[in-house]
Amino acid sequence: MAALPLREEETGWYLYGVVASGADLPAAAGVDPREEVVALAEGPVAGVASRVSLSEFDEAALAERLADAEWLEQKIRAHEQVVEAALEGGAVMPCRFCTVYRDERELRRFLSERGDALADALARVEGLVELGVKAFAAPAPSSGEASRAESGRAYLEARRREQQERQELARSRGEIAAQLHERLLGFAEDSVVLALQSRDVSGREAEMVFNGAYLVADRGRFEDGLAAIARERDDVGLELTGPWPPYNFVPEELSRP
Amino acid sequence: MSSRELESYRPSQPAQLADVLERVLDKGIVIAGDIQINLLDIELLTVKIRLLIASADKAREMGIDWWQGDPFLHGRNGQGELEERLRRLEEKAGLPTTEEP
Repeated sequence: MAALPLREEETGWYLYGVVASGADLPAAAGVDPREEVVALAEGPVAGVASRVSLSEFDEAALAERLADAEWLEQKIRAHEQVVEAALEGGAVMPCRFCTVYRDERELRRFLSERGDALADALARVEGLVELGVKAFAAPAPSSGEASRAESGRAYLEARRREQQERQELARSRGEIAAQLHERLLGFAEDSVVLALQSRDVSGREAEMVFNGAYLVADRGRFEDGLAAIARERDDVGLELTGPWPPYNFVPEELSRP
Repeated sequence: MSSRELESYRPSQPAQLADVLERVLDKGIVIAGDIQINLLDIELLTVKIRLLIASADKAREMGIDWWQGDPFLHGRNGQGELEERLRRLEEKAGLPTTEEP
């Protein structure tokens, strides 16, 4: 590696993900847009990384930075864009946000120590993409009957009815989710059921009733399958996202500290 | 949102922030040692960032426009409810509460 210019500021390496050694790395702006994103090859794999200031990314500094929503969104989007660019060049194992090494030696040590596991993981997702599918249902109607009840007995009956309706709704949503997931599995190599996003997070009026990620070889077939399900079901809205880097399909041995 | 609008699937472009956060903050390779952020309250962070964008013109400067056409942020259900919801979320996220317009 070429000699780096002297810096007054202490720098480390931000690792975005790992690709196969020699894979194409389309250009993308990193978390520090002034610094070039490079592939640091070590045996069969290469770390996609760029230099960062440790005053910005050190643990102590990070606690404060994470409270800054604007900073956080910029850096998270940059992280995602670099990993997506790497995905255009071939298989990539994405790192979690803010994986930072104090020096290049430590980064290379990780790549060489975990080289085999990383190479296996990359081989497993070669030619595959992660797609996200979410299902939404209209929010549960609230009759407000109980609050208008004119007697104690009417109130209790209305409350009981409301409770039954809620239970019925939860049951039918569970069935919708299970059926949807089972059918989509038929178009995918692997899958993960994700936590439902609350309405505050999803920003939608409708309630999320299913959230899943699928590792897919034939994207056209998966999308056709999803479109067919959408035509059959007018009680749920389906949303497709991706293709994503396979965040949800990083093997467990690499996704645990 | 009406049930009509919910009828078919739609690819969402660009990626919704919540979907990006769900992956980037919570998934992927995790490496022991060196610098690593603690596990975060992803829901809270997402809400905070949504609020930032909902309230700041800066978002436009940043070239992020996914919120346009978002019924939540455009208050299709009435301005009062939207404001109430913002206040509630801001409290939850520990942000200064929105002033009355």
